[in-house]
Parts: sequence; structure tokens; C-alpha cells
Amino acid sequence: MPDQQQKQRDAGPSGPGGDGGGPSAPQVEKPDVKDLLKRMKKVDPDQARRYRQRTGQ
Amino acid sequence: MIQFGIETEYGITRTGAEDLDVVAESIALVRATTARGARMKWDYAPEDPHADARGFKVDELRQDHDEAGYVEQDSRRTLTFAEIKSDLALVNGGRFYNDHAHPEYCTPECSTVDEVVAHDRAGERIVGEAARRLSERNGSEVRIYKNNTDFRGHSYGCHENYLLPRSLPWRDLARGVQAFLVTRQIFCGAGKFGVEEEDRFVGTEFQISQRADFFTELQSVDTMQKRPLVNTRDEPHALAEKWRRFHVILGDANMSPFATGLKLGTMALVLELLAREPRCRLPIVAAPLESLRAVSRDSRWKWELELEGGAPTTAIEVQREYLERVKSVCDLSAPDRVASVRDWETVLRDLERDPRICRDRLDWVAKHELIAEFAEGEGVSPDDPWLRSLDLEYHRIDPEVGLYFALEDGGMMRGRPREESVAAACERPPETTRAAIRGRCIEKFGDRIRVAQWDHVVLAGDQYDIKISLLDLFAPEELARYRAALEAAATPDELRQLLRKGDRI
Repeated sequence: MPDQQQKQRDAGPSGPGGDGGGPSAPQVEKPDVKDLLKRMKKVDPDQARRYRQRTGQ
Repeated sequence: MIQFGIETEYGITRTGAEDLDVVAESIALVRATTARGARMKWDYAPEDPHADARGFKVDELRQDHDEAGYVEQDSRRTLTFAEIKSDLALVNGGRFYNDHAHPEYCTPECSTVDEVVAHDRAGERIVGEAARRLSERNGSEVRIYKNNTDFRGHSYGCHENYLLPRSLPWRDLARGVQAFLVTRQIFCGAGKFGVEEEDRFVGTEFQISQRADFFTELQSVDTMQKRPLVNTRDEPHALAEKWRRFHVILGDANMSPFATGLKLGTMALVLELLAREPRCRLPIVAAPLESLRAVSRDSRWKWELELEGGAPTTAIEVQREYLERVKSVCDLSAPDRVASVRDWETVLRDLERDPRICRDRLDWVAKHELIAEFAEGEGVSPDDPWLRSLDLEYHRIDPEVGLYFALEDGGMMRGRPREESVAAACERPPETTRAAIRGRCIEKFGDRIRVAQWDHVVLAGDQYDIKISLLDLFAPEELARYRAALEAAATPDELRQLLRKGDRI
């Protein structure tokens, strides 16, 4: 398995709710995604609005 | 012995097309493939999705309400049933076809986690290559998504199949797996920026599962509407007196091979546990359907639920109880089982410490962290539809543009299968299951294939048709005998002669 390209991140809230009520937060490393974040700006904001499928199984 | 496979329905769209006929597009996609196999030879005659494992047959399967709106469009199609399906029985033992309105790839039967992960990735390659060819032909880009929703309440599946001995009573099986299925989403959920109901978008909150919104029954044979936690379809594709196929429809399509492997590996171990001790003591969730949704939507990632009798617990604790029972009962001598137990244990530990530790393994964490970071940096509000567009982009299977693949290529995701394993899986079946016989028959006698199915292949002999039954071909020594006969036979009739011993044909 490839090694991760990571850097230290400040401990933040435990979940997306941000109430700090989750498990005690250790130092969580996060990868460097700067280039990917730039690429994400080019994703059409409306593509999900146009995406329509029929129900499957 | 537990064998398994995955069936994935992919989402399909084309740039610039607002009212795409997804059925026509899916048919065109399947027909655009260059993957080798037997085209339109699938044998539908033995298929019966109406048989219920509880011992009865239902008259009809439920259809989604929105499907009524497509009756006129579907009635205008002039294609035959087989033409609409456009089935391709592949030389790798898998199947690629149009399932109603979605291109579907089914892996061959596998016996190890590594095999099924490689074949699942091979499926992405085969479907993706067909999309590339169709795009070139049409002059507009066909996009394929390995996800489970269109954010409008239309879900499509990623089903797992597990071969089990019929001797395991259905009631014990269904009761024994329930709490496991409700809680396993904490490591195999694919994550979703949205909340849905059937045919309806409800809200923008993030949840850890793509599929949890769509399950409203405890048990039934249905798969398209009022989906059940435990699917009771009794279609073994094997000798019914000895075997059953446990059909799991509650599962997200994973981009992360680590999550795919953990999903299949842990489920197979739990099923082995039940096969060995059908009535072993396991947690029973008090309100499984409510807990399924509550766990998925819990924004605090605490995943609390209640057991029968009222005792409070968490999804992590429920999973740990299964893990401990597996460790004490199952045969863990095989390397892939050792790896599954190790990964299961480690993931539960990390989820408990802080779920964000798992962003290098689990889809829902990787997706949430990446998109949340983007939203924070760009000032995008939580209800902005852009988040759903990015969610969709995570699942795009074009490795040049899909967000998941960007993470993987950057070395940020664990568990990538080796390239040689994936390349081999595109062309060759696993050697350890009956898929090896199906695939080799198609490879060797392609123009003599009359029909193919999971449990048989019929070849055109010199004077009459020759049926190779795979109904009970699971013992390694029998499989080896079949493989040797196939290698030695130059014609279907020679194969028949070589296999005559044992009355298998």
C-alpha cells in the first residue's frame, strides 16, 4: 500500500456537527489536497441538478 | 466454504443531454464494449425472482411509482427482451448487461477478498472503456458513476451474493445478520450530501450511507421499492437442496477497494459464524429500520442505538460483538481472513478515536473530508447544490477525472489492487471457483456457446447440445477435474467424453 502524503492538522470538532461532543479528538493528519481542491473548482456546480436516473434495484 | 460476488448498477449520463433515455444509453454502452465474451447467450429460463426464502412465492414484485411515467417511452421500444438486455457472458466469468435502466457489471464468483476486489475494479475498467468508445462514436461524452442515487430519490443497487449451505435455517440467518447489516455502514458507507425518500429529495445534510434512505421493510423479495433490510429472494443459482444464495441489497457501491474488501470480507465471516453456530448469541437491534437511518444521519458520528430489551449501545460496540464472536468461532487460518479481521479491528478502533483517521480507507470519510475542506475554502454553504455535484464527481469512474481516483493516484487511499491483478481479472476468471469453468468454456468454445448462466453452460455438440452443469461444482477436487478436462478437450464432444465420469453432464 502506498504511503500517505500527509501533514499535521489541528484537532477540530469530532464530527460535522461541530459540537465537540464526540470521542476525544487525537491529532488527525490530513493529506495535502491543494491541487485537488483547485481541480474541484472546475466541477460544474449544476451537474447533479441535471443528473437524472431511473430507479434500479 | 463461502464464495461471493458483487453486482453493480452504474449511473449513466451524457454531457449536454437533459432528457436522456437512460435505457437506450445503457443498451448502447453495453454494446460498445470490446470485452470478450458470448453476446446475447444468457439463459433467462431458470431465473425466478418471485421465490421467497421463507417458503412461498409472491405473485408480483413491487415497481417504483415513478416508473409509471416511463410506460409510454418503454412501449415504443422495438427491441426484443434479449436485445434490451444485450447480455455479455464474459471470458472472465462475469456478466455485463443492461439491467432495466442501468449498465450492470457482475463479478464472477470469487473465494478470496483479493479476488473480488480485483474483479470489482476490472468491472470499472470494462464499463469505463465501453463509455470511452461510446463517447467517441457519439461525439459527446458519456459519463459513468459508481454510486447509488441521483439525489432525486431514485436509487440503484450494488448487491452482494454469498453462497451458503441450505442447512443454515433461514430464520437464524435473517435474525443473525440484522444488527450487522444495520451497523456495518460505519465502515462501508459511501457517504452522501443529501437526504432522500423514494422519488424525492428531502434535505442537504450529510450522511454516511447512500442507500439507508431507501429501506423501509425488514424482509421481502423486493428490490425496487419498499426495499428490505434482508432480501428473501430464493434464487440459489446452485443445487437448491444443498445451497442458498444470500442476496444482500443493503450496501453502497464503494470506490475504495479497501472498503469493498472489508464489506465482503466481514460479511463472509459473519455468515461463516452463523453457518457454524446458527443460534449463537448476537446483538439484536430494537428498531432496525429506524436505527439504520439514525446511524446514517447522525451528524455527531456517535451512532447510538438501542438493543432489544432497551439496553443502549453504539454501532461500534455492535460490530465489536460480531468481531469477537467471529474470532472465537471461525476458521481464521487463511491469509485474507487474517487480513479482514485485522482491518475490521483497526477500523473500529480508529472510528472510535476519531473517524477522520479513516479518510485514507473509507469512502464516506474521504468524501466528507475532501468536500468539507473545499466548501470551507470556497465559502460554499452546506445547502449549495455544488456539494452534490462534487459528491457525484467522487464516484465518476473515469480515472483521469474522478475525484476518488485523484485521491488514490495521490497515494492518499489504502488498498489499491495491484495493476497486474486488475489486468488479469479483465481477462481471466478466478481459478478457485466454478467461474473458471464458465469463463474457459466461453474462451475456448465461444462460437459453440448455445447459452450461459451462473449454474450451467450449454455447448453445441456435433450431433446434439451438451449441457455442462455447474449447479454443484464447488468442491476443489471436482473443480480441478473439470479444469483438466477443459484443458485437454479440443471440442465440446471431447469435453463431454472426459467429463462423463461422475454423470455431471
